[in-house]
Amino acid sequence: MREVRFHRELYRGEHVDQAIKVYDRFARIERAEEDAHWVVRLDGKSPERERKIADELANYALGLTIQQRGGI
Amino acid sequence: MSTPESLPEPLFPDTLARVDLGEGRATIDLDAGLYPLEAVYGAAYVFIDRCYVLLDRPEPTKLRVLLSPKRPDADVAAQLRDMVGELANELLSAAWRHQITQENRARIEAVTLSAISGAMGPPSLDDLESFDFTEEAFEDPLGIAMSWEEKYAKKKSDAGEGAGKPEEGT
Repeated sequence: MREVRFHRELYRGEHVDQAIKVYDRFARIERAEEDAHWVVRLDGKSPERERKIADELANYALGLTIQQRGGI
Repeated sequence: MSTPESLPEPLFPDTLARVDLGEGRATIDLDAGLYPLEAVYGAAYVFIDRCYVLLDRPEPTKLRVLLSPKRPDADVAAQLRDMVGELANELLSAAWRHQITQENRARIEAVTLSAISGAMGPPSLDDLESFDFTEEAFEDPLGIAMSWEEKYAKKKSDAGEGAGKPEEGT
């Protein structure tokens, strides 16, 4: 199980959800909410695979967030 | 997970940047007062094609960037060190661009608005009727700007005086 924490002031919830939709065919993914973070938990076939998917998911969510803000 | 280490031949103090060689990840802490969030997003986006980037806010006044290369080199420590240096440069550049944009926002909006209104075609008679022509067109601190009528008024009067004179030799 691997956990990625997305700060709610830096990532929008819908972008994290969109990223989860893209990667949920590669691992079992759950999303939880905490006061300051969206918490994404991944369960994959191996720790290496979990890490790879978590990293790609985080990049995807960041890319969506930045593009949506018109920051580029 | 291995213990975070300071960068080899550290570029920055440990409180600002450190690496976790086991995870192949660099952590950079930033003062949110120095680097606006838009600049951090802009700098992060530059790295997104070759690094995995995660942003965090460990404290209200701090932003944290976590970088790990997509294709780690044999010498990961040196690779991370280079990335931290590049990110620091990119952050500075993005922050500066952001500041310039903020300072020139009003000017950019005015130019854009005039370009768009120009593309909309010539003004209608109604627009011209309601236009305030009494407003100064631009500042002229040296007083060198004058209308066509002002410029040629004297010559016209000269021409008027000489009009009654017969030309010599005719």
